[in-house]
Amino acid sequence: MTKNKKPKAQRHPWFAVRKDLDAKRRLLLSVFSFIMPLAIWCLVSYTPFIWHPDIKLQISADRSDVTTVFTAGDHLSKTYFPTFVEAIQKDNNLVLAAREAGELGNGGSRARRANVKIIRQISSPAIANGWLTKEEAEEDEALYMIWKGVAEGSLEGKKVKFSEENVAIAQRNWALMSAKSPTYDSKLMPDQPLQKLVPQGRLANPVYLPAPHEVVVKGLEDFTFTSDGDKPSMFERYKHSLKIVFMGFLMAALVGVPLGVLCGTFDFFSKLFEPFIDFFRYMPAPAFSTLLVAIFAAHDAPKIALVFVGTFFQLVLVVSNTTRQLETSLLEAAQTLGAKNMTLIRRVIIPGITPNLFNDLRILLGWAWTWLVIAELIGVKSGLTEFLETQGRWRNFDSVFPIIILIGVTGFTTDQFLASLRKYLFPWTPEASEKKHGIFGRFAFWLLDRKVYESPVNGKV
Amino acid sequence: MSEVIELPSYKEQSDEVRARFTEIYKRPIKLEVKGVSKSFTTAKGTVDVLSPINFNVHRREFISVIGPSGCGKSTLIRMLAGLETTSGGTFLLDGEEASGPGADRGMVFQGYTLFPWLTVKKNVMFGLEVNGRSGSAVEQEALQWIDLVGLSHAVEKYPSQLSGGMKQRVAIARSLANQPQILFMDEPFGALDPHTRCQMQAHLLQIWKNVDVTIMFVTHDLDEAIYLSDRILVLKANPGEIHEFLEVPVPRPRSDDQLLSPEFLATKQRLEELIHPKNHAEEHQLPMVRMTSTSDEVE
Repeated sequence: MTKNKKPKAQRHPWFAVRKDLDAKRRLLLSVFSFIMPLAIWCLVSYTPFIWHPDIKLQISADRSDVTTVFTAGDHLSKTYFPTFVEAIQKDNNLVLAAREAGELGNGGSRARRANVKIIRQISSPAIANGWLTKEEAEEDEALYMIWKGVAEGSLEGKKVKFSEENVAIAQRNWALMSAKSPTYDSKLMPDQPLQKLVPQGRLANPVYLPAPHEVVVKGLEDFTFTSDGDKPSMFERYKHSLKIVFMGFLMAALVGVPLGVLCGTFDFFSKLFEPFIDFFRYMPAPAFSTLLVAIFAAHDAPKIALVFVGTFFQLVLVVSNTTRQLETSLLEAAQTLGAKNMTLIRRVIIPGITPNLFNDLRILLGWAWTWLVIAELIGVKSGLTEFLETQGRWRNFDSVFPIIILIGVTGFTTDQFLASLRKYLFPWTPEASEKKHGIFGRFAFWLLDRKVYESPVNGKV
Repeated sequence: MSEVIELPSYKEQSDEVRARFTEIYKRPIKLEVKGVSKSFTTAKGTVDVLSPINFNVHRREFISVIGPSGCGKSTLIRMLAGLETTSGGTFLLDGEEASGPGADRGMVFQGYTLFPWLTVKKNVMFGLEVNGRSGSAVEQEALQWIDLVGLSHAVEKYPSQLSGGMKQRVAIARSLANQPQILFMDEPFGALDPHTRCQMQAHLLQIWKNVDVTIMFVTHDLDEAIYLSDRILVLKANPGEIHEFLEVPVPRPRSDDQLLSPEFLATKQRLEELIHPKNHAEEHQLPMVRMTSTSDEVE
């Protein structure tokens, strides 16, 4: 017999219609909702047999008589890659055949330039393997020694492992190179043409889906980039974008909230303004972009105006609706207590709608964010969007993702922060008494609660 | 068949009660309603909600208004409070014509109409402040009114933290703080549970006794009307008009024991007749639905 076994409290099953899960499960699922997409991203990026339709070049080579040039880092489709490799192998075979036929190179400047190019071919795997830094990519002395290392087997490469074919090529090339000079000397180059390294690559997803680590690395690189006078730093771009969004939103709110309250309070204003506003909001804000640039000239004014246009009309309607939803009985009660028009607005309508108004403004701030990218494109491109646009054009999607994520994170945290402020701003609302603290709420509570600072051990207060 | 108890007529009044009514009618008229009516114009034509009605309310009287649903009892009281427009007629408050809502006519609603963003104290101070008063005197006065309804322990609470009965007590205190000429109450205890409702009724009588106020009380609860009122205004529906304005023969002070007294029952019987005329024929026309088992007859 089990002694004194506490009866287990009942709880709802995971799938219970219209029942709240308990706090632990809620938290678990909330965390999971973020982990899930990340996990899918990782799965697609790091499992070679899932998708991966491309080859990302680690070693590239130039084909003779073909003008299209691929460099290391470029993506080729899986089906085209073998053709590319064959073309290079064919070039190499010609070189080899000529050599066997005893045709010695004439040592002309053209052959020499071709050989320098081949020597430099090794720089991209050398950089990937950490033998060279990016800045040293064209230092021929160092490259020369790397050829030696690869040929003699002292350099193997961890990230980019040279194929047997390429090692053999390196050995043949090094035999010719070392016969002329053991170290680099621009005057002592092999007269015969060298063989090209055969292209090597790894399986990769299309260029528009970089792997998570690539995005993180690139993001850190971009965000730590400090201004060099010409290009603004990422923090300056971020500040600029924030300014556009918040200025546009603030102005829309400053004009829109009073107007909305008036429309919701007096049928007169409602019928006077709302029909037109209702019509106007169907005209997409971006359609006004050129017009706004013409009116406000370049720089920030037309951008702020675009956010304003995109937000204001929705805001007025939402606020007037919220105002109308205030219970009539509260107004009637106030009237029987002697309150007249202005007093009603000031002492009943405004305090009565603030909690809902706060929520409305949160949602509309989200709206304002959606106009940011378009706003920053009009007139002179600026802020995060200019970076986004440029990098996107260059197909540097690993630079694009951090920006998109930054905008998302900013919007999300602002919203969560404002949501958790609610219970402190409006202590009379039901959810305030439910004592539900958000993440920020708990943090603020921890900051504000003096008891936290008192040590419980020696705390004889 | 049970034995039918012979009740006295509701018109029979003891000397004590008769003397009280004589005294009431000597008092000045607080509210004079002259031909007030209400009709709505719809697409199908004009609908009369309330035919022109006339009646007087004397100072410090307690009047109940009852009637079947749709008789316009709420409409009447809302018109008198100035919350709805009249379609005809006038009403005089202390001999002066009144229009629009104002602080001279207080109102307690069925729903909870406390301002949720104000504490109990601030709710009660609201009326005083919007009428241009301020300072610590207002606060002191509010606290007295809260004390009167017995909520001194809850002055700093928000309405969401109060029970239904407490909310209505605050609402009463809030209305009384303005010291209105007349207090309209539109089914104020309708949403309360029966026990709380009884407590509130006794409490209201207590307040009415202590405060110089005339009350017009709309209800559909017959016991409540008889227990509280001096006179009961019975309306009938379609269109609403006065059925009878009867004097309650139950002596004051009222107590729970009187709920079964002959005068009380006689009044209740009369109200039943007026509001729910007996219609046995209708009852028998209802179809009988038989379930699978018919063995356990309930009657």
